[in-house]
Amino acid sequence: MRSLWHILRLIWRDRGAAMRRGLALTVVVSLFGIGLLALSGWFIVAAGVAGLAGLGTVFDVFRPSAGVRFLAIARTAARYGERLLTHDATLKALASLRVRLLAGVSAADFATLSRLRAGGALNRLTADIDALDGLAIRLIFPALAGLIASIATLIGLWYLVAPVVALWAVGVTVLGGGGVLVLAGRAAFIPGSRAEMRQQALRAGVIAHLRGRAQLVVAGRLLESRQALLDQDRAARRDALQQSRAEWRAAAMLQVMAAVALSGTLILAGQHVLDGRIGPAQAALAVLATLAMAELTAALQRGAAELGRMRDAAGRVVAALETPPTIQISASETAPGLQLCGLSVAPLPGRQPVVANLDLTILPGETVALTGPSGRGKTAVLNTVAGLVPAVSGRVRAGGRVGYLTQRPALIAGTVRDTLKLASPDADDGPMRDVLAACALDLPLDTRLGEGGAGLSGGQSRRLALARTLIRHPDILLLDEPTEGLDAPTAAAMMRGIREWLPQAAILIAAHRDHDLIPATRIVVL
Amino acid sequence: MVPTHAEIAARLSALTAPQRQRLKRAAIAAVVAETLWVLQAALLAWGLAGLATGQPLPLTLMGLGVAGLGLARAGLALFGAAQSEAAADAVIGAARLDCLTRADRRAPEASAPSSAATAALIVDKLAMLRPYLLRWHPAQARVAAVPLLILLISFAVSWAAGLILAISGPLIPIFMALIGLAARDASARQMDEIAGLNAMLIDRLAALIDIRLLDARDTMLADFERRADHLRRRTLEVLRIAFLSSAVLELFAALGVAMMAVFVGFSLLGQLGFGTWGDAITIGEGIFLLLMAPAFFQPLRDIAAAWHDRVAAQSVARDLLADQAAADPQIIGQGRPDAARVGPIAVRGMVLRGRDMPDLDIAPGEAVALTGVSGGGKSSLLLALAGLIPSGGAVRIGGAVLDDKTADAWRAGLALIPQKIHFLDATLRENLAPEASDKEIAAAIQLARASAVVARLPDGLQTRLGEEGAGVSGGEARRLTIARAALRQPAVILADEPTADLDEQTAAEVIEGLLGLHRRGATLIAATHDPRLIAALPRRIEVGP
Repeated sequence: MRSLWHILRLIWRDRGAAMRRGLALTVVVSLFGIGLLALSGWFIVAAGVAGLAGLGTVFDVFRPSAGVRFLAIARTAARYGERLLTHDATLKALASLRVRLLAGVSAADFATLSRLRAGGALNRLTADIDALDGLAIRLIFPALAGLIASIATLIGLWYLVAPVVALWAVGVTVLGGGGVLVLAGRAAFIPGSRAEMRQQALRAGVIAHLRGRAQLVVAGRLLESRQALLDQDRAARRDALQQSRAEWRAAAMLQVMAAVALSGTLILAGQHVLDGRIGPAQAALAVLATLAMAELTAALQRGAAELGRMRDAAGRVVAALETPPTIQISASETAPGLQLCGLSVAPLPGRQPVVANLDLTILPGETVALTGPSGRGKTAVLNTVAGLVPAVSGRVRAGGRVGYLTQRPALIAGTVRDTLKLASPDADDGPMRDVLAACALDLPLDTRLGEGGAGLSGGQSRRLALARTLIRHPDILLLDEPTEGLDAPTAAAMMRGIREWLPQAAILIAAHRDHDLIPATRIVVL
Repeated sequence: MVPTHAEIAARLSALTAPQRQRLKRAAIAAVVAETLWVLQAALLAWGLAGLATGQPLPLTLMGLGVAGLGLARAGLALFGAAQSEAAADAVIGAARLDCLTRADRRAPEASAPSSAATAALIVDKLAMLRPYLLRWHPAQARVAAVPLLILLISFAVSWAAGLILAISGPLIPIFMALIGLAARDASARQMDEIAGLNAMLIDRLAALIDIRLLDARDTMLADFERRADHLRRRTLEVLRIAFLSSAVLELFAALGVAMMAVFVGFSLLGQLGFGTWGDAITIGEGIFLLLMAPAFFQPLRDIAAAWHDRVAAQSVARDLLADQAAADPQIIGQGRPDAARVGPIAVRGMVLRGRDMPDLDIAPGEAVALTGVSGGGKSSLLLALAGLIPSGGAVRIGGAVLDDKTADAWRAGLALIPQKIHFLDATLRENLAPEASDKEIAAAIQLARASAVVARLPDGLQTRLGEEGAGVSGGEARRLTIARAALRQPAVILADEPTADLDEQTAAEVIEGLLGLHRRGATLIAATHDPRLIAALPRRIEVGP
């Protein structure tokens, strides 16, 4: 529950003024709704009694009928304003929450990022945030407004009709309706949060199934995996059914509660009339006010049923927001080139170091190849130099901007131009074509890539990723197996192109292929 | 191709057709429950009128009648909801099966829709059919029957009262239709925006490390902020129309009630001498008419409240039509286990992505290197041989065309070592071979020279690796995929750059492992640039220009 308050505070802090106005209008809508029916009922019976008594001509018809029209129109206007205001404010607050969440996720450390499954993170950013949109609109506001309107009705009926009638009409609605809502909220709590969990698991499962479908097909396991998803779907639907069953049960119980309140008011107020304590018009006022009050609890019903789902979503979102940003700044030295002093590195923080006490200086214009068998820590050195993983001990001094082509670069969907724009938002077509040429990549800028860069061959993907790195003109360039998947002439042309593009860069290459080594001025074996 | 409104409506009714019986029962329950309110209102009206005129009344009995009718309405509501819910559940389940079956056989190509967008359709959008069937459908039934009934009853009491309803009622559907048209467009745009945002996010989330290295985090966040803000504005656009339509409706409803109250009030005071069929309106009739007025508008308000559900359902139907219409190339075969079937491979006149492929004849047990420039189509050729992208019947295995009937059997004897590594979200052991024994797994890992890799992993075979093998180095991941291939005891191995990411010594070991499988009788076809692998294979085929 604490995370729900946290989210509510965030929304309130973000959009306090709009929220306060929205709340005020919600109260107005509730009060005017009750007032409209109560006044109409009183008016008709009073008019009828006056007519029977032959007092029709002296009865003041204008003020009540003007009141009825005023309440009718004002209520409609207030309702429109309230909905627009609260929805606008909530959507704005949630949009900025979404951005903060992505900022938080993207600031996580390397180890977290490399294990991140896109499907789960997507759930945080979309489904969880969406689940929270009802928090203020469907739960807190109707509850507060309902409470305020109930107190006002209690006072009104107490003085205008009779204390007993007031206590019954408001008491049954607030206590009975509230009780039903609490029970319903509880009944839907567990199935609600389970349904949401299953739906998210299903979404992540479908994404994983589709992304892995080629492998599943070759293994002959596509049907098996699909069947598993369908079982998951059945379970998800069963939980959704259970949640919504709790919801309609609550709706039915609220209807019963409203009928009980109404019949009780009729009997009580009728008795008062027969006893001569109130007039029949006051009894009509009480009966119609009770009828109108049923709307107060009905408005809360959906919010109560969603409570479980909202609480879980809020818990996950708050946890993700609290992830401390851990961006490491790799270096602040000003001497040009790259200097590693007694550097020890591990593949991930907390693991055993794989390289110890590495000393290496690369001057601008130099190219150094780092070789050694697979698993010896070539990639770990580059990750540390790039600032992805902190050094176990020792120091990295980088004089300038670092560019890093990783072993498995991830491309994004869109055109080749979009890909390059991501790295250098202001670049024009000319430099873009030049950098592609430097990478020996003959690809029109408008070529469209699919999800994760699908549609390019392995070698093309690597060269595009390289172009994306080069267009930022790094002073220090780290390349992890840059020629992988390339034929020898293309690889040679690319390596030449890199040097021509960045004549003054200090280049460090992790490699095990001979033709990588051709442009190297020095070779370091791990 | 944009489907017409009629096509969308047809798709929607085809979706719900198998559940027609249940939906009909739910509709009847909704209408009957609403008519019970007429009886409740009559009891209340007579009760209050009796109090006003001083007639003796069975007050307690009437009160209990009101409560009893309320109970009956609640029961009918429960029954109707259960029927609608069961129908919705069945409809959603069937549609999910249909969509999933279509999506998971799409060839892994650039044109295939993003998996996030497809997952959103299957999981989230199809779930929107539930409120449509639960709320819109019964509301539609009520709106067809209840206002007419109340209109007739009101007319029977007083023609003027009936006239008030008859005038203010029909104006509403006209307004609603106009607003509904605008809402449909706005809602469709919003849905597109949601799908676009999801696709963008899933891509960015998978590339977060790259984005950090490119210092593009702020660009990405700004980009996302703009898109999220766009989505917010689109959503508000939809909501504004929805709110406006319900405001118009409530205004008419409120004016209708107010007019009725004023008319009845003045009639009772004796200031209006018209509007009835003879005698003046009694107090009981007056209260009854007043209570009927909101009930006349209530179904219209319900349907306005459910309007968004209907628009959402229509956009789901639109997406389903688009999903069906997309002529994406399909994976050949079903992807189910089958008895392995092998034979000589023959390729004649194959064209992939507009490029001519060489004709091939590869006998069982051969070992072939596919070489050629990067981007020349080697990988596509391997995918086509595996039946993962369509080859237009250009591939024959043992004389039989590789098609939907033969592909699964062909792949049962096939192992594919892809260039882009992908691990399923499961343990390493399940990724390698879920049914293999410890001994078999150990032997395969040994063959792939990956024993040390597994030993280094924190949980050994129970480790869950990242989607693209995060947790192990590139060379280590490559060796694990070779172990995975070996475990299939394949008759044919298709390997795409199997020695990529490997140092000289490991590459030599992996080549030795592949040749070991080959010597046991497996056909080996490897796309490669690696001169050592090319040299180790007896035959070489040049692919591409």
